[in-house]
Amino acid sequence: MTSNTQSYLLVILQGSLLTVGVSLGALVVSIILGLLGAAAKLSGRPVLVAIGTFYTTIIRGIPDLVLMLLVFYGGTIGINTLLEKLGSEATIDIEPFAAGVITIGFIYGAYMTETFRGAILSIPKGQMEAAWAFGMSRLQTFFRITLPQMVRYALPGFTNNWLVLIKATALVSLIGLQEMTYLAKQASAATRSPFVFFLFTGALFLVYTSISLYVLKKVNARYSLGTKRGTL
Amino acid sequence: MIVAYQLPVPSTNQPLRQDRQTVESTFNFLLTRRVCPGNISESYSMKKLLLAAAISALCATAFAQGKDLKVAIDATYEPFTFKTADGKPTGFDVDIANAICEQIKRKCVFVEQAWDGMIPGLMAKKYDVIISSMSITEERLKQVDFTDKYYNTPSKIVLKKDVKFDGVASIKGKKIGVLKASTQEKYALGELKTKGVEVVSYDAQDQVYLDIKAGRLDGTVADILEVGGGFLGKPGGEAYELKGDELYIPKYFGTGAGVALRKGQGDLKKEINAAIKAIRTNGKYKAINDKYFKFDVYGK
Repeated sequence: MTSNTQSYLLVILQGSLLTVGVSLGALVVSIILGLLGAAAKLSGRPVLVAIGTFYTTIIRGIPDLVLMLLVFYGGTIGINTLLEKLGSEATIDIEPFAAGVITIGFIYGAYMTETFRGAILSIPKGQMEAAWAFGMSRLQTFFRITLPQMVRYALPGFTNNWLVLIKATALVSLIGLQEMTYLAKQASAATRSPFVFFLFTGALFLVYTSISLYVLKKVNARYSLGTKRGTL
Repeated sequence: MIVAYQLPVPSTNQPLRQDRQTVESTFNFLLTRRVCPGNISESYSMKKLLLAAAISALCATAFAQGKDLKVAIDATYEPFTFKTADGKPTGFDVDIANAICEQIKRKCVFVEQAWDGMIPGLMAKKYDVIISSMSITEERLKQVDFTDKYYNTPSKIVLKKDVKFDGVASIKGKKIGVLKASTQEKYALGELKTKGVEVVSYDAQDQVYLDIKAGRLDGTVADILEVGGGFLGKPGGEAYELKGDELYIPKYFGTGAGVALRKGQGDLKKEINAAIKAIRTNGKYKAINDKYFKFDVYGK
């Protein structure tokens, strides 16, 4: 392996930290949106249900790539045109990292919404009713009764969403972030030996997803305390 | 994609006004104050403050047109635009961009952008121009404006050395692979397929080469530079060569690679056109050309 190849690999390794950063940031955004969305869809209030349904239907029905172009470029173009109409010379530039986190978080929030909604529905209604009967408020019920129990039900879907989300970060190069897939593309273009760099990138993704799987398995064990594994 | 989008003509260069007396609208106010966080602490009505907060959250840098020329490149196209191992953008496009900037007395700041988002990014004003081997085509001209070409390399048909080539009709029945959505594909569909040559489209030019090596294709149509570096000069490409005339037909291949800018940037376009002419005559272009290529890529 030449030293040239090594330094390209190093650049990709550094880029992978950005991938991890964007993924974790987007995860936080998507969990928040997911909880809000699930709450809205289960609230029984027509307006909230409509907003929640609109969100999940639109987002889950459009490819990530198209959404990213729409949200990021559409948004910026819209704002800049507005500014121009108002006679301003300035332009707004959305910071790519924040944009990546928000866009991916916004997209995966829709998937999280459905995952969380399903998980909440899996909890026997009697649990919540009992909590209300004890005089807990809705928020107290959520944090004390619903949340700890829904984690177990949500984890399989959550794990899927997370794995897809990590891989979706490969799209953020579109909005100007140099994550590892894009860096691998650059390295392979410069050296014309694509396999070295793409295999390396693939391996890095595998490392990150494997670590996540391990952690999530531990979380699952923690939240499954007191339950029995059923077998057929 | 944003197809029918056309940006309004921007007004003439005004310096940023820093005094708040001249401000009419909230938006204008925010921008003349250079909206970044930290600048909006003065006490104004709640509504304005909220709006300011919203915008400052969005913005990393709100800037006026300065001396820097922001140039977009997609550094995945060696030898035109690529990155060295230490992460510096380099290549023919980059050198030409620097020469142009020097000529118009502005500083080039390179912005890296993946190809798919190239034109949307220009529309969104992430950068001022694209200097990244972008061919001037009819479709692109609907959305953006181009300067004159700064290079134009022809494409050619590539076949096995022992295949007799005597005009397109002589390769009837042969199987030719081309890159999807490329100028070469347009040519192949328009000129070769109509004469009975079988045309297969691929997602990447590498895949075409792989299938030629695997024996599933007889040849390809490709840019002579691309095919020279990517296939003919590589192991497995020895048995192949360029056939026939250099293909320049503008209907298919456009008129070369130009600097892309937004519609309405007329002054900048004029400046860059003059700069291209200047570096062609003062020898700068030739110096850059000879650094990368053995012949003049400016073309006919």
